[in-house]
This record gives sequence, structure tokens and C-alpha cells, in this order.
Amino acid sequence: MSRKQDKLAQQVLGDRKLNKKSLGARMWNCRGYYLMFLPVFIFVLIIYYWPMLGIRYAFFSYKLRDIHWVGFENFKTLFSTSEFWRAFVNTLQLSITKLLLNTFAAVLVSVFINEMANLLMKKTVQTVIYLPHFMSYAVVAAIFTLFLSPSSTGFVNETLKSWGLIDRSIDFLHNKGMWRPIFYLINMWKETGWGTVIFLATLSGINPELYEAADIDGATRLQKVRYITFPALGNTIIVVLILNLAKVLNMFEPVFVLYNSRVYEVSDVISTYIYRKTFLTAIPDYGYSTAVGLFKSVVGATLMLLCNEASKKVRGRGIM
Amino acid sequence: MAEAKEKKLQKKSGVHMFDVVLYIVFIIICLIVIIPMWKVVVDSFNALGVYQFRFWPENPTFNGYLTIFNTHKLYRPFMNSVITTIIGTFIGLALATLGGYVLNQYDMPGRNIFSMFLMITMVFTGGMIPEYLVMKQLGLVNSMWILVVKHGINVYNLVLMKNFFEGIPASLIEAAKIDGCSPMGIFFKIVLPLSKAALASIGLMFAVTIWNDYSTVQIYIQDPDQVNFQYMLRVMIMDGDTPTSPYKNVSQETLYYAAIVCAILPFMAAYPFLQKYFVKGVNVGAVKE
Amino acid sequence: MKKKLVSAVIAASMVAGLLAGCGSTGADTAAPAAGDAGATKESAAASGDAAAASGDFQLDNVNIIVDGTLTATVDSGQAEFVQQWEAAVSEKLGHPITLNITQLDHSDYSGTVSRTLTTGAPGEEGYPDALIMSATMLRQYQTTGLLWNLSDAYDNAEFQSRIIYPEVNQNLKTADGAQYGFSPTYGNGCVTYLKQSWLDKEGKTVDDIKTFNDYYELLKKYSDGKTYGVIAAGYGKLDEAPFINYMPEWWQGAYPSFYEKDGTWVDGFTEQATIDALARLHQGYVDGIIDPDTEEAGTKQAREKFFSNDQSTSEFAFTYWAGQWLRNLTDNMSKNEVDDDLGDKRLVQLPPVQEIKDTWGGYLNREAPVWVITDDGDGDNTREQAIFDALFDTMLDGDKVQTLWTYGAEDVHWSVKAETFTTNADDPDKKKDYEYADGEFHLKQSPNDPDTIWKKNHLDPVLVIAPLTNGYTDNDPLVQEGNKFFLANCVDAPAAASSETLTANNEDLTTEKTTLMNKAVVGEITPEEAVQTYIDDFGDISATIIEELNAQSAAQ
Repeated sequence: MSRKQDKLAQQVLGDRKLNKKSLGARMWNCRGYYLMFLPVFIFVLIIYYWPMLGIRYAFFSYKLRDIHWVGFENFKTLFSTSEFWRAFVNTLQLSITKLLLNTFAAVLVSVFINEMANLLMKKTVQTVIYLPHFMSYAVVAAIFTLFLSPSSTGFVNETLKSWGLIDRSIDFLHNKGMWRPIFYLINMWKETGWGTVIFLATLSGINPELYEAADIDGATRLQKVRYITFPALGNTIIVVLILNLAKVLNMFEPVFVLYNSRVYEVSDVISTYIYRKTFLTAIPDYGYSTAVGLFKSVVGATLMLLCNEASKKVRGRGIM
Repeated sequence: MAEAKEKKLQKKSGVHMFDVVLYIVFIIICLIVIIPMWKVVVDSFNALGVYQFRFWPENPTFNGYLTIFNTHKLYRPFMNSVITTIIGTFIGLALATLGGYVLNQYDMPGRNIFSMFLMITMVFTGGMIPEYLVMKQLGLVNSMWILVVKHGINVYNLVLMKNFFEGIPASLIEAAKIDGCSPMGIFFKIVLPLSKAALASIGLMFAVTIWNDYSTVQIYIQDPDQVNFQYMLRVMIMDGDTPTSPYKNVSQETLYYAAIVCAILPFMAAYPFLQKYFVKGVNVGAVKE
Repeated sequence: MKKKLVSAVIAASMVAGLLAGCGSTGADTAAPAAGDAGATKESAAASGDAAAASGDFQLDNVNIIVDGTLTATVDSGQAEFVQQWEAAVSEKLGHPITLNITQLDHSDYSGTVSRTLTTGAPGEEGYPDALIMSATMLRQYQTTGLLWNLSDAYDNAEFQSRIIYPEVNQNLKTADGAQYGFSPTYGNGCVTYLKQSWLDKEGKTVDDIKTFNDYYELLKKYSDGKTYGVIAAGYGKLDEAPFINYMPEWWQGAYPSFYEKDGTWVDGFTEQATIDALARLHQGYVDGIIDPDTEEAGTKQAREKFFSNDQSTSEFAFTYWAGQWLRNLTDNMSKNEVDDDLGDKRLVQLPPVQEIKDTWGGYLNREAPVWVITDDGDGDNTREQAIFDALFDTMLDGDKVQTLWTYGAEDVHWSVKAETFTTNADDPDKKKDYEYADGEFHLKQSPNDPDTIWKKNHLDPVLVIAPLTNGYTDNDPLVQEGNKFFLANCVDAPAAASSETLTANNEDLTTEKTTLMNKAVVGEITPEEAVQTYIDDFGDISATIIEELNAQSAAQ
């Protein structure tokens, strides 16, 4: 609330300045800011914009040092490749489901943590569930690959066998039907805890008077959760979803460390497809992989604009 | 403490059941998270490469860890990781705070252009070979400093920082302006001291990213003296390429579980000191209206 | 107080940040300058070439890229190797020369090479003058114009008179007589090793295994869901010729790629033999004989599991490289204290079972990896010839330099001085004393592991095409036995196919075939379906490739 007022005041202030001073004078006034932005500007220019000149290669054939113009040939190939479309659909499915599940789990756990009265327990749980976030995907994948291995060295299979639940080892990560559920579970294991940080922050901001008022009205604890806690999170959930939706096409590492050729059908995403075309090809055509990347960027930009609009609607300002 | 709790429970009847459920859920959640990690820790002390779950190492040995810190091929990357992470985090925070602060100046001419300038980079990239050529021009191919340069600027973190700064009461800043403080003065004297929580949490994000990066190393670095620890870990685990241990009775598993522990230990250690900032940290900025 | 300190530190960092920012402005303006410097260097290199054209080119510097087959790694005395190489070759050439080695991980060797060749140019820093390539890579690169045709240089090489295996390099020639790779050694291949202790448990000897069925039944006895009969790096290694060498008994006559059969090329993956092989592998998988880890394991993982210190989850049989690796595997088992009572008899080599004896399904002698020289494309051969003379010609000089490539650096990896040393000094059971007289050639302890004896460097003394003339031989009986066994039982692998369409589609074909193979082995699809899917998806491409290959043969 007060923030909006501040902004309003700023705007008024700005307008007044606008009336008074020329653009040059205003810029001169802000010279300090420009100076501060300079290092950022230079870094971004070098690290992001300089390589962007390479986008032109999407219209070239680029194998080893042989570069020649091919027009839209790369895109024609791209759009007629079923492997690419499969990757495109998979990307959306995997990454959106993962986003929803992770958010859902994080909300649930946050509410639990919020309800916990025992401070020590609360702290312990928080500490524990944040930990997996700090492990790289490579490490997480290594642990779970070992755990789920179908050979006699696999912990999960051997345990299930010793309990008599299964006779024969299940090859979890090579099974088309099981790969996705396991992928989601592993990702939830890794990121749910970290995801709660944002929701717990929101929950800690709920006015305690609301709960007190509910107490006076004789509400049960479940009712309080249902009518106060969850609605309070609504806005945050939407913001989290929007902020992350813009990035859904970028998913690479989580898939890359867990997938294998037998489950490509359900697991191959655009970034892994680009990776294979660029790295696992003896003499790659960099023009083609740039074209795939460019297509990804265009779709990503569209998503980003949509999310920006959505963000403006929901919380009155864009992502940035 | 327990007594007080008991009293509270008795006072509010009907709450009892709920708490029991909560405790059970909490214990299950903790177990799910801890069991895989516990196994890693236990196995890092296990002389034998065993695959079953053990609560305690059967035949405890420190040889896995000794191998890591006595093998140049592993020790050197570990130090590289430490150095690049510290410096990279420093630069990353510097740029994110500067950028975030400037982007918050809504009455600055060109703010929207700057914002656009940054946003475009979140979507468009030049592709691998152009990036490679640029890095080569900068002399960063085959150098660990590429990790610092590449991760030093992170637009996403910059935006988080900006969001956090928005939460600083404008009245404070206005007051400083009236006192004749320059933009930089305000930044150093008011904004930064108020942003410790954000600096801690975003700093941690930078550190995690840099520490955990192996793909950059895989693409750009061949010199074994320049690779980082995460890369060695990956080579060991995925390609099974463990260096020869000068110690007896170090199975491949012992060694790479020990390496995994070394890879997460720095964060485990730093974590209790930073944890208190998280809740107040970056996300407040992200959510704030 | 603390607060102040924190903000002071951060403030300082900001100033540093700003300065760094300014610094990088400077760097930015400096960057093009650096680029210019690069350009001038290039032009300098170019003028160097020009000078070469006029005849006074002098090669001061050789950059090479190698894979793990140069066993003198940075950890194991590479510096001394380089130093002694430089000394010896400088002396030979009459001017100083330096050697820069870039050693890459095996896992992404071809990728890193292609990036390096794409983003660099001859004369630039980091661009290789010569490098190692697999036979498959050579086939892919030889048409790109990046490699130098070394056919004349090879024919006129100093070592020509000493060559005992001329066919090795003969086979590398293309249809029009060009030769882009140079192979200093014969190929080598894999044989099947069995654990003697496990044989003993069943009261069997290796001679009891005559047929695939004998082999299968025996493997089955060791497969109880904990231990397995066999492990390999993949059911078939379809991305690396000769594809079937890690599980020869199972593939038998099948060759799941293009090969020349009675003068015409065929796609082996579509043949009945492949279907049969897949059915056999499937049966082995279902019966729990093949360790399921086989699907994802790399070679190192597979072998680590084979000689793991936890034998309760290990395997009975393992097919792996012959000769030197018999020693390596034995040493590793010894290190893990597996079957110590059997000493060097821990592993026994299985003679090819009846079904694969003397056929392509047998112990294949693969095409050897090659060395290539990069062409700077100026139409002048001076630079390339100089690289050949400095690097390849000396590599097989029969004497000093060849010894470096074969055994490593003198007094680091080997010596002819009198000395005594002991391995495993703290372990009374394994303790072994070595004593050598003055002038007696012997290998020393490994630089990175004093408990094992150094083995060899890049060249295998047995497989080399022109043997050492100084009489230095390594008398390890186990290695000799292994080599003898392999040479007695091996069959030459078919020459790798190479055509434009194949190169363009190679990875897609490999991925598809690997996926189908894995699916068929675990029973997700039948072997017939696997082959049919392949024909449906890649039949046209396969037909085009065969057409191109046949046209090539006809031209020849």
C-alpha cells in the first residue's frame, strides 16, 4: 500500500521535474546512476550481446570451418523433424508439470511448517529440507541412479525384493512408464525445501490479528488453515508460477543427468536435443543447432511477454 | 519446554490429533530427505563398496578423504572451486546490487531501455560456438576465470535484488537526498546496510551456481590444472574415471562418495550462518506488493 | 560494530566492483587490440609460411592433442617425457624444438577436437599440429580438407625399411590413394577373461568350455541375482567400431553396421544374424546372466565392478583388451585383494567358443587409432612435412625417441641403471623385491603408485609396426602370454565404412540402433520389431549409404 503511494509521489515528483528540466539536464542529474550501471552494462554487453552476433548462423551451414549461407534451410529441416517436435512437446509437459508439482509440494510443506508450534522442530525441518538444494544435479542424479539401479547393487530394488514386494528388479530409469514419475519425485526431493522459503516468508507476514479473530469466532485449526492461511498464499503462488513460466523452455540439467536413449520418447527436451546435436555429433552443424536455439528463444520471448503482461495484471508491475 | 507444550495442548482440545499428524508428517519428510544423504555420508567412510543401506560404516576409513586431499588431480580442482566461487560471488553481488539499484530509479531517463537491455538477455543467446569464440577472444578458454566472468553477471539475480531494494522505504532515501547525499552515497550508506539479508541469500545463490557448474568447464577447459571440483566429480561418477589412490582399500565408491561429501560440505558449513537471512531475504523482495 | 564492518567490507567490494568495471572498460578497448595482436600473430604465422615457401621454414613448436593412450599423463611423469623428447628430437633436427601436449578426457574426445578445429586455425595458439583420431573419426574428417595427405611423407619415411606390418597403413588409404592418417601400431582387440577362482568353485577348467552353450550354462551357475555371469560396457558398443568386441560370444557372426560382404556392401543391422544375436542377449538378460548395469556402464565402470573389492556383487566373465590389460586387470584385483592366493593365475583367457572361432564374431582385431596432421591449406607442404619429420618419423626411429613413446622417460619410467626396489613393502604377502644389474633394461615403479610397476607409454612394443632396434623389451610374462593368446586367436575386423550420407547421419543411426538394441535386450520389443523399426525409420538412408559405398568400391 504505502509502496504505491511512494511510487505515486515519485511520479508526481518526476512529472514536476519533467516540466522544469530538459532531458539533457535530467540525464546529467542521473550521471551517478549511469556510472554505477556502467560495469553491469559492460559485462552484459560482452557476455551476452557479443555472442548474440552469432544468431546469424541460424541461416548458415556451419560445419567445422566451412560456413555458407543456406537461408531458411535449417528451419525447414527443423520443422520437418519429428524428433524436434517430440522434444518441444516434452519440454512443455515436463517443465510445467514439474513447476506445478514443486509449487504444490512447497505450499503444502510451508503450511505444515507454519502450523508447527514447536520452534526447535520447525527449525530442524527447515534446515533439513533446504539441504538438497545445494547439491548439484550431477550429484543428485548419481545418488538416485545408484539407488534405483536394477543390478544387485541397487538399494531400492534390493530392499523391495527383501520385503517380498517384487521378484525381479525394476529398471526404474529405463522404463518409459516410470521415468516421468521418478523424474518429478527426484525434482521434488531436491527443490521442495528451497521452494518453501518464499511461501514461509509470505506466511510470516500474515497479520496475527486474523488468527485471533478466528479464534474468537471459535474456528478450528483446520478451518483457520483453510480460510486464512491458504488464501493468503494465493497471490504468492501466482507470482511464483508466472516468474517461472517464462523459463520453462530452458530446462536442461535436471533431464540431462537422468535421461537415456530408451526413454527419449518421454524425456528428450529441446535443450538436450540441442546438446546432442552440438556435442554428441562427430562433425556438428552449428548452424542447425543455432537455428534450434533461435526457435527456442523466440518461443521463450513470447512466453516472457505473456508472463510480463500477466504479472502486470496480477501485481501491478512487470517482471522487471 | 515439553511441559509447557503439554499444557497448551490440553488447553486447546481437538488440536491434539492435528499435532500428532504434523509430527508424523515432519518425521517422514525429514527421513525422505536424510536417508539418501546419510547413505552417501556413511558410504564415504566405508572401505568396501557396499550398496545396502547402513546406519554406520562397517569398516570405517578416512582413506577416501585422504586420497582427495593428497591427490593433486583432485585437490587442485577443489581449490579452484573455492577460489572461483568466492571471487565470482563477490563480483556477482557487486554487479547485481549496482544494476538492481539503478533499475529502481524510476525517474531516471533511459531506465526502461536498461530494463529492456537486460531482459533480452534472459531469452536470446548466441549459441555455443559464438560464445566460445568470444571467450577465446577474451583469453578465457582453458582458464578457470571463465567461471567468474560467465556467472559474474546474472540478470535473474539482479532482478531479485532490484525487487528487494523496492522494499526499502522510499522515505529513507528521500531524506538522504534532501541531506545532499549523492546516488552513490545513498547506495553505500543506506541501501547496502539495509540489504544484508538479500546479500546473504543472493550471494548464496551465486555461490551455489558457480560451485555446482560443470558444463562450462566441460566445454571450455581441458587443462587439468584449471578444472573445478564439480567437473572432477562428474568425471569420476559418470565416466567412472577415478584417479589411482595411493591408499589401500579405497574402493571406487568410497572415493566418489567422499568426493560428493566434499562437494556439499562447504555449503553445509556456511549454511547455519546464513539461514536466518533466508526468510527475510530475497523473496520478501520478490513478493512484496 | 559488526554491522559497520560488514557494510565497510561490502562498500569496499563495491568500489572494487566499480574499479573492476572501469578496468573492464579498459579491457574492452584492449580486447580488439588483443584481437589485432592475434591478427598480427596470424599474419606473422602466414609470413612464416611464406618464408617456408622460400625454403627456410623451421618448425620450433609442435602442438599435439592426445587421448588417454599416452599413459605418461601429467601425474605420471609427462614433464620428463616431454623434456627428453625435446632433447632427443632437437638433436636429430639440429635446431631446438618444443612439444606442447594437450591431453583430453576420453569421454568427450571427439567433441573437444571438433570444437578446437572449428574455432581455431593453424598457427594459432592451441590449434593442434598433429593429433590422435580413432579410425571412425579419421573416416569422418578425411574429406573435410582439414587434414594433410601424408601419403608421400609416409612412403618416404625413414622407418619404411623396418616396417613389419605394412598392411596397417595400407588399409588407411582412400580410393584415390590419399592417406590422411598414420598408424604406428597394429590394432589390438578384446578377449574374454574368466575368474579362475570361480571356475574352481564349480570344479571346471577353461578347457571345459567349448561351445556357446557350455559358456552359457556355466555363466548361469554364477547368476543368482547378486553376482552375474558377465558385464560389459554396453550390450554392444554401436558408436565405436568394431561394435561387438565387448560381447563377442553373444553377437557371434552378426556385425550391426555396414560391411563389405563378398564384394558388395550390406547393412549388417538388418540381417538375420543381428536378430539372432539380439534374441541371445535378451535370453541372457532374462536369465539374469548379463549384469543389467551393462546397459549404462562405461568401460571403466564395467571393469571396476569386475575387479571390485566387493566380489559379492561382481561378475564371472569380462571381455576386455588383450595383452597389457591381462596384467592391468590382474594388478587391480591384487590391489583390491581379490583372489590373492592365485597370484598371476587369477584370470584365465577363454579361447573363442566354437561358434565364433575364426569368424568375424571372434576376437576382433580392430582398426588402430591413427595420428593425423592438420593442413593449413596454403598448398605448400613444408610445414606439414616438417611436422611429420619431427613427430612421426622420429616416433619409429627404433631407438631413443621410439623408446620414449614406448616405455616413457628414462630414469622415470624405465632405466638401465643397476637398482633394487620393493613394491608393497608394508604387506608381507604381496611384498616383491626387484633387483637389476647395470645395463639391464627394466621398468621402474609407476610415478603415481609405487606399489605397481610401470607398464608402457603410448606405443605397444608388441603391436608397433616397426619394432625397437635397441633390444629394450619388457619381459612381463603375463603381458607376453596375453599378446600371444590374442595373436593366435584374433581375426581382422572389417574396414570401417565411410560415405557422405553415413557421416551426415552417423549419430542418428547410432542412437537409433542403440535404443532399439537396448529395448530388444530387455524385452520391451522383440528383435524382429527392433530391426523392422530400424528399416522403417532409416531404410532409405541405409539404402543410399550402401549405394554410395558400392559406387566407391566399383571406382576402386
